[in-house]
Amino acid sequence: MIKRALTVSCIAVVAASLAQGAAPWVRGYVVAFYDPAFRYGGRADYSRGAEIEPGVDCPHGSTVHFAVPAQVAKTFSLIPWRTPQEIEALANPPADGLDRNVAGVYFHTWRAASAYRGYTPDIETYINPFAAEDPGQPEVTSRIGEGFNLDGKIKPNDFVSPDGEKGIDNQLYRAWGCDAPWRGDNGNGTLVLRSNDKMLEGLYTVVIRVSGNNDPMNDDNATLEIGYSPDQIMKDASGKVGVDYSYRILAGEQYTKLKARVKDGVVETEQSDIHMPQIAWFYNQLRDAFLGQGKIRVVPNSDGTAAGLVGGYRDFRDVYAQNVFTQSGGVQGVREHEDHVALYYALRRHADGMFNAKTGRYDGISSAYRMKLVPAFVVDPDKPMRIPVRESDTGRRKAFDDTAAAMTKAVDTLVPQEVPPGSGELTAVDGVEIGRGGVALPARDRRGYGGNRGADDKAKGASAKQDPR
Amino acid sequence: MVPPAGPGVFTVKPSGPGTFKLVVSGHTFTSRSDVEKYLAYRAARLTAEQGGEWFTLNEDRGQGETAEPPPARDLEGPRFSFRMKYFRPVWRFKTNASPAWTRWSPFSGAPFFSADPRTITEFEVSAEIVVRKGPMDDADPLAFEAHALSDLLVNQVSPPK
Repeated sequence: MIKRALTVSCIAVVAASLAQGAAPWVRGYVVAFYDPAFRYGGRADYSRGAEIEPGVDCPHGSTVHFAVPAQVAKTFSLIPWRTPQEIEALANPPADGLDRNVAGVYFHTWRAASAYRGYTPDIETYINPFAAEDPGQPEVTSRIGEGFNLDGKIKPNDFVSPDGEKGIDNQLYRAWGCDAPWRGDNGNGTLVLRSNDKMLEGLYTVVIRVSGNNDPMNDDNATLEIGYSPDQIMKDASGKVGVDYSYRILAGEQYTKLKARVKDGVVETEQSDIHMPQIAWFYNQLRDAFLGQGKIRVVPNSDGTAAGLVGGYRDFRDVYAQNVFTQSGGVQGVREHEDHVALYYALRRHADGMFNAKTGRYDGISSAYRMKLVPAFVVDPDKPMRIPVRESDTGRRKAFDDTAAAMTKAVDTLVPQEVPPGSGELTAVDGVEIGRGGVALPARDRRGYGGNRGADDKAKGASAKQDPR
Repeated sequence: MVPPAGPGVFTVKPSGPGTFKLVVSGHTFTSRSDVEKYLAYRAARLTAEQGGEWFTLNEDRGQGETAEPPPARDLEGPRFSFRMKYFRPVWRFKTNASPAWTRWSPFSGAPFFSADPRTITEFEVSAEIVVRKGPMDDADPLAFEAHALSDLLVNQVSPPK
């Protein structure tokens, strides 16, 4: 339920507090843009406007995984049981005009072969990424990055913030900062755009409420709450996120209340574990973005909006699962020019927090996320409520959870795991499913979430049941 | 789980500060790849046991063994946890016909084992590694991250006989 708040009375409260210098005060924001804090650093005068320039952090540009046959051949050459002839054929599938599949000649061949790169042909790669050789990932080489100094130390691999603060821990940026769909100036990478589009269309909403009892510009005993809102983001007549709408905040599993200090209007929280919604572009990804030893900073802008920064250590398995399993590793990889085996190795290589005494390795990777905040009234629900569950998507959510659990078990035990029934890794796309050994096969049923499924079915004269997204 | 090696199959000797010479010996083997993977696995495990996080391979290049050039550092290309193609140990072997050791180097350009493997009576595969700590120099193609390499190989290797 969206309701316009009592704007006048709240303004009066704020005005009164400013006048008196010490009175209860509240500020609320809705997150209007949410992306990983990957600093682009491109030139402002770049003239080829529609293209994404290399940027100073990734001097050779972003990832080109599964983009061109030569690169694909190099990746598949790391599969020990593939012959050179097979690799050549897989990298260059025949384009003889007989394949009328709307996805083209490369998509299914590459996504299928990419899903079986383990040391034996029956090991599914995206659930068992440790069992395939590292195909390599371009990584951030610059030293400037956003985030927080989470461990209080200044280490050789740390970043320096754009403001000059040393010791910034954001190894997620180091590892994934050159990954094509997450890059771009001001968030124009394909997955940045997609996830923010979905958020603005109502997939999920994140809100922040800051409150205190002193001066809202300087308060040593403030409180910051962040959490999920069941209320869809409201837009104004120009399509931008509307100002001063009301949103409920749910004190549940994606909610955190932190002590904070406000100095000259800048809010900075204590360091503590943070639970809040993670970035999502499908319903089955909606879950807690747990950030261990996290911090939040809110910097107000002169127009009433604010810039938010959330940092902390994320479990590398959560980060991996979030990116790969909403559909399937092959679909995501070929479509977005990512390689999740490379991303897996990069995450493990740069993991720097949540030390696991049992394994002697780190399970967490320091991370930071940016948020553009629009003023809002953040209110408690009339009665306690949980995050709504959409019945129609519970199957896909379970498939995601089961697949992520299998991957976690695999990388923890190093025992290759089977693909769980119902997993997205088994789901047919455009009438094509993946058989053991990475073979593209005609689907045995009509089940599928395929990106082009409607068009494909139409082309074949079949009655296409529309994707519920 | 990797089965334990028999007596004398795997030896390791310090050869300098943080530097170790690893040798895998045997009498029969299934493939070059199997033995070299076992040696790589032992190198990774030794690195972890020594408290290291990664190691570099010191290539053993004899005089004139230049057919395969040393891999160049790549400061701006993709980063890798390891590149198996650059784990290139040196072999030596004896055959029924020749009881003297014969050296085979991956850098010589000669094909692997001109002799029939069935005639091999004894072989040794060796590598010298430097155990290292701290952030990996992943621009170095001869750098190998110990845990990542061990994870990949743990289910694949067993010691030769």
